[in-house]
Amino acid sequence: MRVLRLAALIALANLASVPAAQAQPAAMNAMLQQATPQRVPFDEARFDSLTARQLGEIFDAAAAAGLPTDKLINRARQGAALRVNSARIITAVRMHAAALLEAREVLGTASTAAELDVGADALKAGIPASTLAQVRAARTGGSVEMPLVVLIDLVSSRQVPVSNAREAVLTLSRVPRSDEALSSLQQVVAKNSVRGPGMALDALNRYVKGTVSGSIQPSTPVTPDRKPIRPPPP
Amino acid sequence: MSDEPRVLPFPSEEDDDAVLGAHIAAMYRGYPARSQADADRCAREVIARAKAQPAWRALVPRQRWWWGAAAAAVLVVVTMRPWRPDASDEAGRVFTSAAREATTPPGAAAGSPGGAMARSPQGTITSLDGGDTVRFDLRLATEPKDVSLVGDFNGWDESATPMLRRNGDETWSAQISLSPGRHVYAFVVDGQQWLVDPLAPQVPDAGFGPANAVVIEGQR
Repeated sequence: MRVLRLAALIALANLASVPAAQAQPAAMNAMLQQATPQRVPFDEARFDSLTARQLGEIFDAAAAAGLPTDKLINRARQGAALRVNSARIITAVRMHAAALLEAREVLGTASTAAELDVGADALKAGIPASTLAQVRAARTGGSVEMPLVVLIDLVSSRQVPVSNAREAVLTLSRVPRSDEALSSLQQVVAKNSVRGPGMALDALNRYVKGTVSGSIQPSTPVTPDRKPIRPPPP
Repeated sequence: MSDEPRVLPFPSEEDDDAVLGAHIAAMYRGYPARSQADADRCAREVIARAKAQPAWRALVPRQRWWWGAAAAAVLVVVTMRPWRPDASDEAGRVFTSAAREATTPPGAAAGSPGGAMARSPQGTITSLDGGDTVRFDLRLATEPKDVSLVGDFNGWDESATPMLRRNGDETWSAQISLSPGRHVYAFVVDGQQWLVDPLAPQVPDAGFGPANAVVIEGQR
Protein backbone atom coordinates (compact mmCIF):
# COMPACT_ATOMS: atom_id res chain seq x y z
CA MET A 1 0.00 0.00 0.00
CA ARG A 2 2.85 2.39 0.76
CA VAL A 3 4.33 1.67 -2.63
CA LEU A 4 1.05 2.49 -4.34
CA ARG A 5 0.71 5.77 -2.47
CA LEU A 6 4.26 6.73 -3.38
CA ALA A 7 3.62 5.90 -7.03
CA ALA A 8 0.45 8.00 -7.09
CA LEU A 9 2.32 10.95 -5.55
CA ILE A 10 5.07 10.67 -8.16
CA ALA A 11 2.45 10.61 -10.91
CA LEU A 12 0.75 13.68 -9.47
CA ALA A 13 4.02 15.52 -9.18
CA ASN A 14 4.65 14.90 -12.86
CA LEU A 15 1.18 16.09 -13.79
CA ALA A 16 1.29 19.27 -11.79
CA SER A 17 4.04 20.84 -13.86
CA VAL A 18 2.20 20.87 -17.20
CA PRO A 19 -1.09 22.40 -18.33
CA ALA A 20 -4.07 20.08 -18.49
CA ALA A 21 -4.76 20.54 -22.17
CA GLN A 22 -1.22 19.52 -23.17
CA ALA A 23 -0.51 16.94 -20.56
CA GLN A 24 -3.58 14.79 -20.63
CA PRO A 25 -2.26 11.81 -22.65
CA ALA A 26 0.97 11.56 -20.69
CA ALA A 27 -0.77 12.34 -17.44
CA MET A 28 -3.46 9.79 -17.91
CA ASN A 29 -1.00 7.15 -19.09
CA ALA A 30 1.02 7.68 -15.94
CA MET A 31 -2.12 7.46 -13.90
CA LEU A 32 -3.24 4.30 -15.65
CA GLN A 33 0.11 2.65 -15.01
CA GLN A 34 -0.34 3.30 -11.33
CA ALA A 35 -3.93 2.10 -11.26
CA THR A 36 -4.87 0.14 -8.21
CA PRO A 37 -6.97 -2.97 -8.21
CA GLN A 38 -9.72 -0.99 -6.47
CA ARG A 39 -12.81 -0.95 -8.69
CA VAL A 40 -15.00 2.12 -8.94
CA PRO A 41 -18.62 1.10 -9.47
CA PHE A 42 -20.47 2.77 -12.31
CA ASP A 43 -23.33 1.88 -14.61
CA GLU A 44 -21.37 -0.11 -17.16
CA ALA A 45 -24.53 -1.19 -18.96
CA ARG A 46 -24.82 2.23 -20.56
CA PHE A 47 -21.62 1.63 -22.52
CA ASP A 48 -20.32 -1.12 -24.76
CA SER A 49 -17.96 -3.56 -23.11
CA LEU A 50 -14.75 -2.12 -24.55
CA THR A 51 -15.68 1.44 -23.60
CA ALA A 52 -16.78 0.33 -20.16
CA ARG A 53 -13.46 -1.38 -19.58
CA GLN A 54 -11.47 1.68 -20.63
CA LEU A 55 -13.65 3.96 -18.55
CA GLY A 56 -13.26 1.65 -15.60
CA GLU A 57 -9.50 1.92 -15.84
CA ILE A 58 -9.67 5.69 -15.92
CA PHE A 59 -12.04 5.82 -12.94
CA ASP A 60 -9.86 3.42 -10.96
CA ALA A 61 -6.78 5.51 -11.66
CA ALA A 62 -8.61 8.68 -10.71
CA ALA A 63 -9.76 7.12 -7.46
CA ALA A 64 -6.21 6.09 -6.68
CA ALA A 65 -5.09 9.66 -7.26
CA GLY A 66 -7.78 10.94 -4.94
CA LEU A 67 -9.87 12.63 -7.62
CA PRO A 68 -13.67 12.83 -7.37
CA THR A 69 -14.75 9.96 -9.60
CA ASP A 70 -18.42 10.87 -9.52
CA LYS A 71 -17.62 13.91 -11.66
CA LEU A 72 -15.89 11.71 -14.22
CA ILE A 73 -18.68 9.15 -14.20
CA ASN A 74 -21.13 11.95 -14.69
CA ARG A 75 -19.19 13.19 -17.69
CA ALA A 76 -19.29 9.71 -19.22
CA ARG A 77 -23.03 9.48 -18.57
CA GLN A 78 -23.57 12.78 -20.34
CA GLY A 79 -21.80 11.45 -23.40
CA ALA A 80 -23.80 8.24 -23.33
CA ALA A 81 -27.05 10.14 -23.05
CA LEU A 82 -26.08 12.25 -26.05
CA ARG A 83 -25.21 9.06 -27.95
CA VAL A 84 -21.77 10.28 -28.96
CA ASN A 85 -19.22 7.70 -29.98
CA SER A 86 -17.00 5.91 -27.51
CA ALA A 87 -13.79 7.63 -28.55
CA ARG A 88 -15.23 11.05 -27.76
CA ILE A 89 -16.51 9.89 -24.40
CA ILE A 90 -13.16 8.47 -23.39
CA THR A 91 -11.31 11.54 -24.63
CA ALA A 92 -13.65 13.85 -22.73
CA VAL A 93 -13.30 11.84 -19.53
CA ARG A 94 -9.51 11.73 -19.81
CA MET A 95 -9.33 15.48 -20.40
CA HIS A 96 -11.56 16.13 -17.44
CA ALA A 97 -9.46 13.89 -15.21
CA ALA A 98 -6.32 15.73 -16.19
CA ALA A 99 -8.03 19.07 -15.63
CA LEU A 100 -9.24 17.92 -12.21
CA LEU A 101 -5.67 17.11 -11.27
CA GLU A 102 -4.46 20.54 -12.28
CA ALA A 103 -7.42 22.22 -10.59
CA ARG A 104 -6.56 20.50 -7.36
CA GLU A 105 -3.01 21.73 -7.60
CA VAL A 106 -4.23 25.28 -8.14
CA LEU A 107 -7.19 25.43 -5.77
CA GLY A 108 -5.66 23.34 -3.04
CA THR A 109 -6.26 19.91 -1.65
CA ALA A 110 -8.87 21.24 0.77
CA SER A 111 -11.17 22.08 -2.11
CA THR A 112 -14.43 20.22 -2.41
CA ALA A 113 -15.23 17.93 -5.30
CA ALA A 114 -17.64 20.49 -6.71
CA GLU A 115 -14.98 23.18 -6.58
CA LEU A 116 -12.51 20.94 -8.35
CA ASP A 117 -15.12 20.15 -10.99
CA VAL A 118 -15.84 23.78 -11.76
CA GLY A 119 -12.13 24.56 -11.56
CA ALA A 120 -11.43 21.89 -14.16
CA ASP A 121 -14.09 23.40 -16.41
CA ALA A 122 -12.51 26.81 -15.96
CA LEU A 123 -9.10 25.51 -17.02
CA LYS A 124 -10.64 23.87 -20.07
CA ALA A 125 -12.35 27.15 -20.92
CA GLY A 126 -8.93 28.76 -21.23
CA ILE A 127 -8.86 30.58 -17.93
CA PRO A 128 -5.27 30.69 -16.63
CA ALA A 129 -4.38 28.79 -13.49
CA SER A 130 -3.12 32.02 -11.94
CA THR A 131 -6.62 33.46 -12.24
CA LEU A 132 -8.06 30.47 -10.42
CA ALA A 133 -5.55 30.99 -7.65
CA GLN A 134 -6.56 34.64 -7.39
CA VAL A 135 -10.21 33.69 -7.13
CA ARG A 136 -9.35 31.17 -4.45
CA ALA A 137 -7.46 33.82 -2.51
CA ALA A 138 -10.33 36.29 -2.85
CA ARG A 139 -12.82 33.75 -1.50
CA THR A 140 -10.94 32.56 1.53
CA GLY A 141 -13.32 30.57 3.62
CA GLY A 142 -15.99 30.55 0.93
CA SER A 143 -16.76 28.47 -2.08
CA VAL A 144 -15.30 29.38 -5.46
CA GLU A 145 -18.15 27.75 -7.37
CA MET A 146 -20.21 30.84 -8.12
CA PRO A 147 -17.23 33.06 -9.09
CA LEU A 148 -15.88 30.38 -11.38
CA VAL A 149 -19.28 29.59 -12.91
CA VAL A 150 -19.68 33.27 -13.77
CA LEU A 151 -16.08 33.58 -14.94
CA ILE A 152 -16.47 30.59 -17.27
CA ASP A 153 -19.69 31.96 -18.69
CA LEU A 154 -18.23 35.42 -19.29
CA VAL A 155 -15.13 34.15 -21.01
CA SER A 156 -16.41 31.20 -23.00
CA SER A 157 -19.93 32.29 -23.90
CA ARG A 158 -20.07 36.07 -23.77
CA GLN A 159 -16.74 36.93 -25.43
CA VAL A 160 -15.52 38.99 -22.51
CA PRO A 161 -11.69 39.15 -22.41
CA VAL A 162 -10.19 37.09 -19.61
CA SER A 163 -8.52 40.08 -17.97
CA ASN A 164 -11.75 42.09 -17.79
CA ALA A 165 -13.76 39.12 -16.57
CA ARG A 166 -11.15 38.33 -13.94
CA GLU A 167 -11.08 41.85 -12.57
CA ALA A 168 -14.88 42.01 -12.45
CA VAL A 169 -15.25 38.68 -10.69
CA LEU A 170 -12.49 39.43 -8.21
CA THR A 171 -14.02 42.81 -7.43
CA LEU A 172 -17.50 41.41 -6.91
CA SER A 173 -16.15 38.49 -4.88
CA ARG A 174 -15.18 40.94 -2.18
CA VAL A 175 -18.45 42.85 -1.88
CA PRO A 176 -21.22 41.85 0.53
CA ARG A 177 -23.73 39.35 -0.90
CA SER A 178 -21.18 38.54 -3.54
CA ASP A 179 -22.97 35.46 -4.88
CA GLU A 180 -26.06 37.51 -5.66
CA ALA A 181 -23.94 40.23 -7.23
CA LEU A 182 -22.11 37.71 -9.37
CA SER A 183 -25.33 36.06 -10.46
CA SER A 184 -26.80 39.43 -11.43
CA LEU A 185 -23.61 40.29 -13.29
CA GLN A 186 -23.95 37.12 -15.36
CA GLN A 187 -27.55 37.94 -16.22
CA VAL A 188 -26.76 41.51 -17.21
CA VAL A 189 -23.84 40.52 -19.40
CA ALA A 190 -25.73 37.62 -20.99
CA LYS A 191 -28.64 39.86 -21.92
CA ASN A 192 -26.38 42.52 -23.35
CA SER A 193 -24.01 40.20 -25.17
CA VAL A 194 -26.63 39.36 -27.79
CA ARG A 195 -27.00 42.99 -28.75
CA GLY A 196 -23.74 43.37 -30.53
CA PRO A 197 -19.98 43.27 -30.11
CA GLY A 198 -18.72 45.27 -27.18
CA MET A 199 -22.06 45.43 -25.43
CA ALA A 200 -21.16 42.63 -23.03
CA LEU A 201 -17.98 44.34 -21.94
CA ASP A 202 -19.75 47.68 -21.64
CA ALA A 203 -22.46 46.15 -19.46
CA LEU A 204 -19.87 44.38 -17.35
CA ASN A 205 -17.90 47.56 -16.66
CA ARG A 206 -20.99 49.56 -15.84
CA TYR A 207 -22.40 46.90 -13.56
CA VAL A 208 -19.18 46.51 -11.62
CA LYS A 209 -18.79 50.29 -11.26
CA GLY A 210 -22.36 50.63 -10.11
CA THR A 211 -22.12 47.78 -7.63
CA VAL A 212 -18.89 49.01 -6.09
CA SER A 213 -20.19 52.56 -5.81
CA GLY A 214 -23.40 51.28 -4.28
CA SER A 215 -25.76 52.62 -6.91
CA ILE A 216 -26.67 49.13 -8.08
CA GLN A 217 -27.84 46.59 -5.56
CA PRO A 218 -27.43 42.87 -6.22
CA SER A 219 -31.18 42.53 -6.37
CA THR A 220 -31.51 45.13 -9.12
CA PRO A 221 -33.44 43.41 -11.90
CA VAL A 222 -31.97 43.01 -15.33
CA THR A 223 -32.96 45.84 -17.64
CA PRO A 224 -35.81 44.74 -19.88
CA ASP A 225 -35.03 47.30 -22.57
CA ARG A 226 -32.21 47.51 -25.05
CA LYS A 227 -30.02 49.79 -23.01
CA PRO A 228 -27.22 48.55 -20.76
CA ILE A 229 -27.40 49.41 -17.12
CA ARG A 230 -26.04 52.89 -16.52
CA PRO A 231 -25.20 54.01 -13.02
CA PRO A 232 -26.67 57.39 -12.07
CA PRO A 233 -24.29 60.36 -12.17
CA PRO A 234 -22.44 60.96 -8.91
CA MET B 1 -37.68 84.79 -98.95
CA SER B 2 -41.28 84.71 -97.67
CA ASP B 3 -42.69 85.75 -94.32
CA GLU B 4 -44.58 82.49 -93.94
CA PRO B 5 -43.45 80.60 -90.87
CA ARG B 6 -41.45 77.55 -91.70
CA VAL B 7 -42.46 74.10 -90.65
CA LEU B 8 -39.58 72.98 -88.54
CA PRO B 9 -38.74 69.29 -87.99
CA PHE B 10 -39.31 69.32 -84.28
CA PRO B 11 -40.60 66.18 -82.51
CA SER B 12 -44.31 65.58 -82.51
CA GLU B 13 -46.50 65.68 -79.44
CA GLU B 14 -46.24 61.94 -79.03
CA ASP B 15 -42.47 61.94 -78.78
CA ASP B 16 -40.58 62.09 -75.55
CA ASP B 17 -39.05 65.43 -76.42
CA ALA B 18 -42.38 66.96 -77.36
CA VAL B 19 -42.29 69.61 -74.72
CA LEU B 20 -38.77 70.69 -75.55
CA GLY B 21 -39.54 70.65 -79.27
CA ALA B 22 -42.67 72.72 -78.85
CA HIS B 23 -40.82 75.24 -76.78
CA ILE B 24 -38.01 75.64 -79.29
CA ALA B 25 -40.43 75.71 -82.19
CA ALA B 26 -42.39 78.48 -80.58
CA MET B 27 -39.21 80.49 -80.14
CA TYR B 28 -38.09 80.04 -83.71
CA ARG B 29 -41.44 80.83 -85.29
CA GLY B 30 -40.87 84.50 -84.68
CA TYR B 31 -37.67 84.57 -86.68
CA PRO B 32 -37.60 84.58 -90.45
CA ALA B 33 -35.56 81.80 -91.94
CA ARG B 34 -33.65 82.06 -95.17
CA SER B 35 -34.57 78.68 -96.47
CA GLN B 36 -36.18 75.47 -95.43
CA ALA B 37 -32.79 73.70 -95.51
CA ASP B 38 -31.25 76.23 -93.17
CA ALA B 39 -34.21 76.02 -90.85
CA ASP B 40 -33.97 72.21 -90.77
CA ARG B 41 -30.25 72.31 -90.09
CA CYS B 42 -30.64 74.90 -87.37
CA ALA B 43 -33.40 72.96 -85.67
CA ARG B 44 -31.43 69.72 -85.75
CA GLU B 45 -28.44 71.49 -84.25
CA VAL B 46 -30.48 72.97 -81.47
CA ILE B 47 -32.12 69.64 -80.66
CA ALA B 48 -28.76 67.85 -80.65
CA ARG B 49 -27.22 70.38 -78.30
CA ALA B 50 -30.22 70.41 -76.02
CA LYS B 51 -30.11 66.65 -75.75
CA ALA B 52 -26.39 66.55 -75.01
CA GLN B 53 -25.86 66.41 -71.24
CA PRO B 54 -23.13 65.31 -68.88
CA ALA B 55 -23.04 61.64 -68.07
CA TRP B 56 -23.71 62.24 -64.39
CA ARG B 57 -27.01 63.88 -65.18
CA ALA B 58 -28.27 60.57 -66.53
CA LEU B 59 -27.65 58.94 -63.15
CA VAL B 60 -29.44 61.51 -61.07
CA PRO B 61 -33.22 61.30 -61.00
CA ARG B 62 -34.94 64.52 -61.89
CA GLN B 63 -38.12 63.98 -59.96
CA ARG B 64 -38.26 65.98 -56.80
CA TRP B 65 -40.16 63.31 -54.87
CA TRP B 66 -37.21 60.98 -55.26
CA TRP B 67 -35.04 63.26 -53.18
CA GLY B 68 -37.66 63.29 -50.47
CA ALA B 69 -37.84 59.51 -50.44
CA ALA B 70 -34.06 59.22 -50.28
CA ALA B 71 -33.89 61.60 -47.34
CA ALA B 72 -36.58 59.65 -45.51
CA ALA B 73 -34.73 56.37 -46.11
CA VAL B 74 -31.50 57.84 -44.75
CA LEU B 75 -33.36 59.08 -41.70
CA VAL B 76 -34.84 55.64 -41.06
CA VAL B 77 -31.51 53.90 -41.49
CA VAL B 78 -29.64 56.30 -39.23
CA THR B 79 -32.18 56.39 -36.43
CA MET B 80 -33.67 52.89 -36.39
CA ARG B 81 -30.77 50.85 -37.75
CA PRO B 82 -33.01 48.01 -38.92
CA TRP B 83 -30.06 45.75 -39.71
CA ARG B 84 -29.45 45.27 -36.01
CA PRO B 85 -31.34 42.15 -34.98
CA ASP B 86 -33.72 42.15 -32.08
CA ALA B 87 -32.17 40.83 -28.88
CA SER B 88 -34.66 38.02 -28.42
CA ASP B 89 -34.33 36.86 -32.02
CA GLU B 90 -30.57 36.88 -31.75
CA ALA B 91 -30.68 34.81 -28.62
CA GLY B 92 -32.84 32.29 -30.36
CA ARG B 93 -30.52 32.15 -33.31
CA VAL B 94 -27.43 31.58 -31.27
CA PHE B 95 -29.26 29.01 -29.32
CA THR B 96 -30.62 27.27 -32.39
CA SER B 97 -27.30 27.01 -34.11
CA ALA B 98 -25.61 25.80 -30.97
CA ALA B 99 -28.24 23.18 -30.44
CA ARG B 100 -28.17 21.96 -34.02
CA GLU B 101 -24.45 21.86 -34.42
CA ALA B 102 -23.35 20.67 -31.06
CA THR B 103 -26.09 18.95 -29.18
CA THR B 104 -28.13 17.11 -31.75
CA PRO B 105 -27.24 13.48 -31.27
CA PRO B 106 -26.06 11.53 -34.29
CA GLY B 107 -29.00 10.05 -36.07
CA ALA B 108 -31.40 12.76 -35.05
CA ALA B 109 -33.26 14.01 -38.07
CA ALA B 110 -32.00 17.32 -39.39
CA GLY B 111 -34.87 19.73 -39.74
CA SER B 112 -36.93 17.76 -37.29
CA PRO B 113 -39.71 19.56 -35.43
CA GLY B 114 -37.24 20.29 -32.68
CA GLY B 115 -35.32 22.64 -34.95
CA ALA B 116 -38.11 25.17 -35.14
CA MET B 117 -38.99 25.07 -31.49
CA ALA B 118 -35.58 26.25 -30.49
CA ARG B 119 -36.52 29.83 -31.34
CA SER B 120 -36.53 32.26 -28.44
CA PRO B 121 -36.52 29.79 -25.58
CA GLN B 122 -36.60 31.24 -22.11
CA GLY B 123 -35.57 29.32 -19.05
CA THR B 124 -35.94 30.32 -15.45
CA ILE B 125 -34.97 28.65 -12.23
CA THR B 126 -36.85 29.37 -9.03
CA SER B 127 -35.94 28.24 -5.56
CA LEU B 128 -39.09 27.18 -3.71
CA ASP B 129 -39.76 27.54 -0.02
CA GLY B 130 -36.25 28.82 0.50
CA GLY B 131 -35.05 25.23 0.54
CA ASP B 132 -33.41 22.82 -1.84
CA THR B 133 -36.47 22.34 -4.03
CA VAL B 134 -35.94 24.06 -7.34
CA ARG B 135 -38.37 24.62 -10.17
CA PHE B 136 -37.07 24.69 -13.74
CA ASP B 137 -39.23 26.49 -16.29
CA LEU B 138 -38.69 26.45 -20.01
CA ARG B 139 -40.76 28.52 -22.39
CA LEU B 140 -40.82 27.39 -26.00
CA ALA B 141 -42.30 29.08 -29.03
CA THR B 142 -43.94 25.97 -30.45
CA GLU B 143 -45.66 22.90 -29.10
CA PRO B 144 -43.46 19.88 -28.58
CA LYS B 145 -44.92 16.57 -27.47
CA ASP B 146 -42.71 16.17 -24.46
CA VAL B 147 -39.85 17.95 -22.75
CA SER B 148 -37.59 16.53 -20.10
CA LEU B 149 -34.86 17.83 -17.85
CA VAL B 150 -31.51 16.09 -17.78
CA GLY B 151 -28.44 16.80 -15.73
CA ASP B 152 -25.90 15.48 -13.34
CA PHE B 153 -28.62 15.17 -10.70
CA ASN B 154 -30.47 12.43 -12.60
CA GLY B 155 -27.60 10.77 -14.43
CA TRP B 156 -28.55 12.51 -17.67
CA ASP B 157 -31.51 10.17 -17.95
CA GLU B 158 -34.12 11.53 -20.35
CA SER B 159 -36.93 9.64 -18.69
CA ALA B 160 -36.05 10.52 -15.12
CA THR B 161 -37.41 14.08 -14.90
CA PRO B 162 -40.20 14.80 -17.39
CA MET B 163 -41.41 18.38 -17.52
CA LEU B 164 -45.10 19.18 -17.36
CA ARG B 165 -46.80 21.79 -19.44
CA ARG B 166 -48.73 24.43 -17.61
CA ASN B 167 -52.37 24.83 -18.55
CA GLY B 168 -52.87 27.38 -21.30
CA ASP B 169 -49.23 28.32 -21.36
CA GLU B 170 -46.16 27.58 -23.42
CA THR B 171 -44.10 26.95 -20.32
CA TRP B 172 -42.86 23.54 -19.28
CA SER B 173 -41.96 23.03 -15.63
CA ALA B 174 -40.26 20.48 -13.42
CA GLN B 175 -39.57 20.53 -9.70
CA ILE B 176 -36.70 18.62 -8.23
CA SER B 177 -34.70 18.61 -5.04
CA LEU B 178 -31.08 19.57 -5.51
CA SER B 179 -28.18 19.48 -3.14
CA PRO B 180 -26.22 22.72 -2.65
CA GLY B 181 -23.51 23.32 -5.19
CA ARG B 182 -23.15 23.53 -8.92
CA HIS B 183 -25.33 21.40 -11.17
CA VAL B 184 -25.05 21.03 -14.92
CA TYR B 185 -28.23 20.50 -16.89
CA ALA B 186 -29.93 20.71 -20.27
CA PHE B 187 -33.38 20.23 -21.76
CA VAL B 188 -34.42 17.46 -24.14
CA VAL B 189 -37.27 18.17 -26.52
CA ASP B 190 -39.21 15.28 -28.03
CA GLY B 191 -36.45 12.92 -27.03
CA GLN B 192 -34.22 14.15 -29.83
CA GLN B 193 -33.02 17.67 -29.47
CA TRP B 194 -30.97 18.87 -26.56
CA LEU B 195 -31.43 22.52 -25.76
CA VAL B 196 -29.75 24.99 -23.46
CA ASP B 197 -31.01 28.30 -22.16
CA PRO B 198 -28.87 30.88 -23.98
CA LEU B 199 -29.03 33.40 -21.16
CA ALA B 200 -28.27 31.05 -18.27
CA PRO B 201 -24.69 30.37 -17.20
CA GLN B 202 -23.09 27.96 -19.60
CA VAL B 203 -20.34 25.45 -19.08
CA PRO B 204 -17.64 24.91 -21.69
CA ASP B 205 -18.26 22.25 -24.26
CA ALA B 206 -17.05 18.96 -22.85
CA GLY B 207 -16.86 17.48 -26.33
CA PHE B 208 -20.54 16.65 -26.37
CA GLY B 209 -22.17 20.07 -26.68
CA PRO B 210 -23.10 23.01 -24.49
CA ALA B 211 -24.95 22.76 -21.19
CA ASN B 212 -26.21 25.12 -18.53
CA ALA B 213 -25.06 25.43 -14.96
CA VAL B 214 -26.87 26.46 -11.81
CA VAL B 215 -25.42 27.02 -8.36
CA ILE B 216 -27.67 26.11 -5.47
CA GLU B 217 -26.78 28.02 -2.35
CA GLY B 218 -26.82 26.44 1.05
CA GLN B 219 -24.73 24.58 3.56
CA ARG B 220 -22.38 22.17 1.86
